[in-house]
Amino acid sequence: MTTICLGIEGTAHSFGAGIVTSDGKVLSNEWDMLKPEQGGIHPREASRHHSELGPTIINDAVRKAGIGFRDVDIIAFSRGPGLGPSLRTTATIARTLALKLCIPLVDVNHCVAHIEIGCLESEFADPVTVYVSGGNTQVIAFAGGRFRTFGETLDIAIGNMLDVLGRELGMGFPAGPTIETVAKDGENYHNLPYSVKGMDLSYSGMLTAAKKLHSENVLVPDICFSVQETAFGMLAEVAERALAHTKKSELLLTGGVARNNRLTEILTGVSERHETKFHRVSSSLAGDQGAMIAWNGILQYNSGHQIRVEDSHVLPKWRTDDQDINWRKSL
Amino acid sequence: MKQMLALGAESIIYKIEQWGQYYVLKWRQSKPYLLDKIDSQLRKVRINRECKMLTISRTLGVRTPAVYSVDLYNHTIMMDFIDGTQFKQLAGQIPASELVSLCHNFGQLIALLHNGNVVHGDPTTSNVIVDKNSRLWLIDFGLSEMNATLEMKGVDLHLIQRALETTHWDLQETMLEATLEGYVEVQDDSAESILSRMKEIRERGRYH
Repeated sequence: MTTICLGIEGTAHSFGAGIVTSDGKVLSNEWDMLKPEQGGIHPREASRHHSELGPTIINDAVRKAGIGFRDVDIIAFSRGPGLGPSLRTTATIARTLALKLCIPLVDVNHCVAHIEIGCLESEFADPVTVYVSGGNTQVIAFAGGRFRTFGETLDIAIGNMLDVLGRELGMGFPAGPTIETVAKDGENYHNLPYSVKGMDLSYSGMLTAAKKLHSENVLVPDICFSVQETAFGMLAEVAERALAHTKKSELLLTGGVARNNRLTEILTGVSERHETKFHRVSSSLAGDQGAMIAWNGILQYNSGHQIRVEDSHVLPKWRTDDQDINWRKSL
Repeated sequence: MKQMLALGAESIIYKIEQWGQYYVLKWRQSKPYLLDKIDSQLRKVRINRECKMLTISRTLGVRTPAVYSVDLYNHTIMMDFIDGTQFKQLAGQIPASELVSLCHNFGQLIALLHNGNVVHGDPTTSNVIVDKNSRLWLIDFGLSEMNATLEMKGVDLHLIQRALETTHWDLQETMLEATLEGYVEVQDDSAESILSRMKEIRERGRYH
């Protein structure tokens, strides 16, 4: 018998609802991203966005899946990590649905869900994952029953760096796609801090240096070009360090920044050098969305895990390696 | 004879035979997927740095392979071949007492570097070789730096903790404790501030 899971995502500025079956079919995947007119994301505004749009998005997801609420067997929700107000709104919606429909509630780690939906799509068994988004920059691999963070940013996430720089350069939010387009016209490379520490990296120095280039009237395309090449080169190096260290044979790229074609090109090169398979998660599953939460919910539920509503408080600082991954064979 | 030992993140390591002895040849090959300017700059900086830091570290009392020749055009370094086992591979196979004593020694070596204001930059257990006499050798100094600040030393210790938790998760407490014990023993009076910086760095990552 197939199980149907409604997954609800809302850790940051995006709210999403997705419906996935236990055979790994994504029946629907609806989301909306808060795009502030100016400035960055305010947690309170993000949570208001979720509570205002959440019900419509969930209804749309159920309708587009061609099912009714009574067909849903499990509710899964992103319990963390993320912004407290966003998480609490999302969790409240999920709890309400689970109680109302009298079905199990499953709490999902947002970062783990990004990896598992990538594995579903790529059919990878045990990849090194490069997870890059507005809030996260991590290189993760499975070892000893958990997803372990081999490397991560020591300060700001790569997507955050791109967004803040984009704001400085007069671009809208999110700035990543604009920076990618503009960078194509860049010709002159300007030196920027290349900061790799073991398998960790740092982007704050690069942000400061790029802003300085802007104040010195360096052409915007050249700034974008230089930032992309340096930032992605650093990611390539930590991915290579993780591949060399773990000796795994698959490389997975996921998260919102995975949509960047130049980054994909560089990591394809990395995978060729190390003779590993490579997969970039498709655009609709790369960013924050509900399908990944739903799929992870199914994996967890089938391994015997669910959570009682009274125990389901959110975990804004939930680490990737804090959760026992019972559905994967320990290596 | 030229036998490939490892494909590293930024180089290929060969074992070669010359003058009746074994040596290691480390080749930083070009990476066509990187911007050429970044690639050539990294290869140049890292090879220079590695040669220099291998030698400087030895003057600080840490065993490192001696460098015999450097080719800045082809980006190769020829150095001692250390006959031994990677600490990473050994850690799970030896008795606890031996493990503790090796970690203790590892911590002491890192402290010797730090006392000389040098950081290793990538202090994982892959970059420690244990020879037949249970002596530790540090290798892979491509990310090493001089004039290290408190912050850089803190990062170095943070990286040790990171390596232990990802690679030796079932032994990490024992290994970290022994390593830091050795570290504090040899470290000048600034041990306390470096250790607290290490904790601070760990908390700094967004979700830690």
